Amino acid sequence: MSGGSVSLKGVTKSWGVNTALNNVSLDVPAGQFTALLGPSGCGKSTALRIVSGLDDPTSGQVFIDGEDVTDAAPAARDIAMVFQSYALFPHLSVAENIVFGLRVRGLSRNERDQKLASAAELLGLRRLLDRKPSQLSGGQQQRVALGRAIVADKSIFLMDEPLSNLDAKLRAEMREEIRDLQRRLGVTMLYVTHDQVEAVTMADQVVLMNHGQIEQMASPRVMYEAPATLFAAKFIGTPPMVTFSIKLLASALTSEFLQKCQNFTFGIRPEALVPDDNGAIAGQVAHIEYLGADTMVECKVGEETLLCRVSGKTRLASGMEIRLALNANDLHVFETASGRREDTMLKEIEMALSSQTAGSVSAFQTQTQR
Amino acid sequence: MRNSARYQWIYAWMLLSPAMIFLITFTHYPAVQTVVSSFFSTARGRRKSIFIGWDNYTTLMADEVFWKVLVNNFWYAVWTIPLSIILSLAMALWVNEKLRGRGFLRMAYFTPTVLPLIAVANIWLFFYTPGFGLIDQIRGLLSYPEQNWMGSPDTALYSMIAVAIWKEAGFFMIFYLAALQTIPPSLREAAAIEGAGKFYYFRRVAFPLLMPTTLFVSVNAVINSFRLVDHIFVMTEGGPNNASSLLLFYIYEVAFDYWDTAYAATLTVIMLTILTTVAIGQFFFLDKKVHYK
Ligand SMILES: Nc1ncnc2c1ncn2[C@@H]1O[C@H](COP(=O)(O)OP(=O)(O)OP(=O)(O)O)[C@@H](O)[C@H]1O
Ligand SMILES: [Mg+2]
Repeated sequence: MSGGSVSLKGVTKSWGVNTALNNVSLDVPAGQFTALLGPSGCGKSTALRIVSGLDDPTSGQVFIDGEDVTDAAPAARDIAMVFQSYALFPHLSVAENIVFGLRVRGLSRNERDQKLASAAELLGLRRLLDRKPSQLSGGQQQRVALGRAIVADKSIFLMDEPLSNLDAKLRAEMREEIRDLQRRLGVTMLYVTHDQVEAVTMADQVVLMNHGQIEQMASPRVMYEAPATLFAAKFIGTPPMVTFSIKLLASALTSEFLQKCQNFTFGIRPEALVPDDNGAIAGQVAHIEYLGADTMVECKVGEETLLCRVSGKTRLASGMEIRLALNANDLHVFETASGRREDTMLKEIEMALSSQTAGSVSAFQTQTQR
Repeated sequence: MRNSARYQWIYAWMLLSPAMIFLITFTHYPAVQTVVSSFFSTARGRRKSIFIGWDNYTTLMADEVFWKVLVNNFWYAVWTIPLSIILSLAMALWVNEKLRGRGFLRMAYFTPTVLPLIAVANIWLFFYTPGFGLIDQIRGLLSYPEQNWMGSPDTALYSMIAVAIWKEAGFFMIFYLAALQTIPPSLREAAAIEGAGKFYYFRRVAFPLLMPTTLFVSVNAVINSFRLVDHIFVMTEGGPNNASSLLLFYIYEVAFDYWDTAYAATLTVIMLTILTTVAIGQFFFLDKKVHYK
């Protein structure tokens, strides 16, 4: 088995006035793990169902391996699918569930048994083959659903939130198993999830969706380090990026420059914000959240609230005065109205901050030198 | 400890007793009384009812009408049971599809069930009327001769069978429809992705999942094949020459036209025996093939 590529070109799907997908174009590279990420109701499942052929797009095209399959039946698309509910046939045994598709295609008994045995071995299902789905745990059911996809010998796997019914520990285990399986089989994976941790830990490429549109399509690292939109900045990361207006940095900037920054929103990751006695930002600790290795400190600065990640051993307590320092190139700048990332503005602000008077600059410089 | 256990036992009986009293007076006692009556003669005028052993059963063995209605009832069951089930399943599958006017179709199919069988019989009376009836008018257009559907011994029973199927199929459809709607759509989608066509999906997935409903419906169909005789009163009164008479209709005639209550009791015992045997057999036979969720 080796993967095939999938792409959507200008796909729109609507039900009456309700538009689930609005002119979506995306590419899933062959043999890679692509996660389709977004909040509930953003159209992830709809996109997956259009790739699978279970739903037809209102307009736009679907390509698999460069071939237009928009009008092809699901079975003709070289895909295997794992449903969120697993969709196991309740009256059939585990073995019969796994070989269901092989029977449809009329494979000989020998071939069926062979494929079943190797899939059962791979997934550790050997001793469960005679059970009915109702006699399995959630994780085992999920493996059966995976088994059905594996024996199908398809080059593209589609999965719709397959782990959302499992508990946290099992989910972490299954994440690794699925990732591992995808690498071993070399298939192309399109994996729907609303859990950003899942997407970031598993995927080669993350497609972030919101309101039926794609916000950003990038590797997890790029998505974290350079979110393309405000939405992406606030969706990725635990806790997500904190945003604030330029007034926060008023002490370090000239008034003309402040004027220029009116229409922009600024953001910084909590780990880039550091308590520092010479820091440019003065505020008060509002709330402390102890997480073990780390502590999240919520600070009030004027009307803004900032979040900063410090060591778990910190002696900070709520009500204390605090000064925070930041490194100018850790800042993210977005146009407030469109939410789009503005890197030219970021350059200007880096320049402005570094050319300031000695008193305030020190805070930034200590950071830069650190 | 022992005391409280005894109290619970008394308590249980007290709670059960109202239902028990009704069940015994109106179901168990008459059933037993029927069996007892079948061994006695019918009281006529001065003659008292006396114990006559198996005499009623000997009479029954020699009763040509009894054998006639039994054979009629056999064919009535053989046609109505499978046809009404198959028809109801087909209608349910059809109505369950995403098609236009689905709500209207469902209602249309269900209507025969809401109508009393007597009203249904009246409608069909109009269909069957020789010469003027709907069926003959259509046949007339195709220049076929008139046909007395209910009056000829060859067609009378089958005319009754058609009415019963028409009446029952809509009712059974509702059960199948309800069962179909509990099957998650993702099963059909999973089958579609594996390349299963509609028929394959029905055979390997939908039909097995409908088995509990099929069992329930078939037991009901068996009971109805003995029970549904109202239309015979309105349409043929068992005629001509008992050609369309069924067991229950014959029991009615014996009991309330000839007032031979003991013989009617004997016939009833036979009917109950048949029904019980068939129903129990069905459960044992089908239960193995049924997947309960
Ligand atoms: N059959 C349908 N008819 C009408 N609207 C629908 C239908 N299916 C989905 N929608 C709408 O399309 C939008 C996208 O739905 P979709 O199922 O793709 O969301 P999702 O991103 O998968 O969400 P979740 O994470 O909750 O599964 C939603 O607003 C939903 O209400
Ligand atoms: Mg979904």
